[in-house]
Amino acid sequence: MQWFSSVKGGVKAFLLIFFLVLMGACQSGESEYDTSPQGNLDALWTLIDEHYCFLTYKEKELGFKWADIHSKYSAKLNPEMTRVQLFEVLCQMLSELKDGHVNISTSLDLGRNWTWKEDYPENLDTELRQQQYLGTDYHIGSGLKYTILPDNIAYVVYESFTDAIGDGNLSDMLSYLQLCNGMILDIRGNGGGELTNAERLSQRFTNEKVLVGYLCHKTGTGHDDFSEPMAEYVEPSSSIRWQKPVVLLVNRSCYSAANIFVRNMKEMPRVTVMGDQTGGGSGMPFSSELPIGWSIRFSASPSFDARMQQIEFGIEPDVPSSLDTALAAEGKDSMIEDARRLLSGF
Amino acid sequence: MKRVLFLILALLLLSAASHAEDMVLEPVPDRSPAARALLFGIGRTNQLDTYLSPMEYTGLQASFMLQSERMTRLAKHHISFQSTLHGAFSSTDNPAGTANCLGGRLAYDAAWHYHWSPLPKLDVKGGASVGADLGFLYNNRNSNNPAQGRLSADISLSAGAGYSFRLWRLPLRADYQADMPLVGLMFSPEFGESYYEISQQGVGHDIICAYPGNALSLRQLLTLDFCLRRITLRIGYLCDIRQSNARSLKYHDISHSFMFGFVRHFQLMKRTH
Repeated sequence: MQWFSSVKGGVKAFLLIFFLVLMGACQSGESEYDTSPQGNLDALWTLIDEHYCFLTYKEKELGFKWADIHSKYSAKLNPEMTRVQLFEVLCQMLSELKDGHVNISTSLDLGRNWTWKEDYPENLDTELRQQQYLGTDYHIGSGLKYTILPDNIAYVVYESFTDAIGDGNLSDMLSYLQLCNGMILDIRGNGGGELTNAERLSQRFTNEKVLVGYLCHKTGTGHDDFSEPMAEYVEPSSSIRWQKPVVLLVNRSCYSAANIFVRNMKEMPRVTVMGDQTGGGSGMPFSSELPIGWSIRFSASPSFDARMQQIEFGIEPDVPSSLDTALAAEGKDSMIEDARRLLSGF
Repeated sequence: MKRVLFLILALLLLSAASHAEDMVLEPVPDRSPAARALLFGIGRTNQLDTYLSPMEYTGLQASFMLQSERMTRLAKHHISFQSTLHGAFSSTDNPAGTANCLGGRLAYDAAWHYHWSPLPKLDVKGGASVGADLGFLYNNRNSNNPAQGRLSADISLSAGAGYSFRLWRLPLRADYQADMPLVGLMFSPEFGESYYEISQQGVGHDIICAYPGNALSLRQLLTLDFCLRRITLRIGYLCDIRQSNARSLKYHDISHSFMFGFVRHFQLMKRTH
């Protein structure tokens, strides 16, 4: 009977533990956000406060305090405001970050800040590029367009890193261009895409493993909770590689993966970056959402150059160059012409 | 060649049939009857994974459970071995109804229970299990972090009780079992770790120790068996609570399911002359 009592006690203890577990299990969402305008602003502010990877850097560079942003924009809210009005206030709040990777996606609109390119000259005339340089008799290798200019310079255009390029495309292109004296790689207007495409293309311009930068991520909710930076290397391709001078043409629209590609190419031998400063966008984006159901994108993992310097606001070219509109009217792209002159001097 | 094989096969079958006339089937000594249950479930689930979203997603979950149990010769036939394969598929929406998550889980547990009967018709059991869990949660709207993988292996405490009784002359059996992981390993990325970094550094970098302090989970199954003609049917309620709070990331998957299926009892037999 004593034994039975101990069993009964054990069963009771077991049930008590399960009851406690059940109580503990009743955990709800990350926080109790509400769907009011204030609730959504609180949720967005907290999301950026905890997850955004450039807060300390941007507070210093742009001169704001994220803690003050909350009260500044809360003052613009009222409980009766429409969804459109709320969207505008939240977009204004996020535009303080001046980050092209920060967006609010709604059925109303895409909230964005594109000042990194809209506030600067475009330095690109796609029609001119197409008509005067690529012409009609050019090659297309997946996302790459290429031809040989009359002065035996290879001219390659890569408009978006979302356009996949395979090793076969690259090998065929480099084989076709192998007798050229140099290469103009024109990525003006390339707003980014897949990092793997950027890495695959970079691998064709080095014969050795090259340190190109560092990458880290947030490990906690604090503004400065970051992992140890992970060194990023570009390994040489085992297939055909380019051994001659390269001019990489860039402009302010080179963003995100294109910005990372420029970072990589800056470390490659025989490569000159020419044009305007790139647009930046060195934070790898993540997605999240608000109680109202709108999708949020933000920078989560910062990339640095090989000297651990920030490249969020872009990369300076080795040789500045801009599009001369007067020459453009005569059918000449002054940046391509600058690149040709530079290559002919090697 | 085919004809030769057919001939050999026919001879073997004839030989077996001629011997079978002289044989009888008897239960294998020391092998107790085994019960195997196949259950299907439908219920609601509540999911949170802050790697994907700070919002809780709720929706339907369909599941199955294949469970077999038999007594072993250990501890004078007091220890049973139980094998459980549990799979679930869910489709959940965020509170605003603007995004959807698809989830899948497959878990296997092998448990050993010590049985005793403190009261007639009451069977109490307690023991431990080892198991592995594999799953995913896919958010159809996220761009660079669209999915989260789940991988864990653990040792759990397992306990339960069964009671046989009659209601309106109908023989019934009610069973309850609870399993709670005690210690194990689980995959968990760091707070803002990207897929690119995970792929570069390897998944091993993100395997951490799991214990009730960071992964408090519990599975409870309450079932009722009854016979309908010569078939044993089982209905039940499954409450499955999976949680973790590690590396500043919170996760939970709390499901409540109505289970239904059937039970088959087996006895291992041998031929004797």
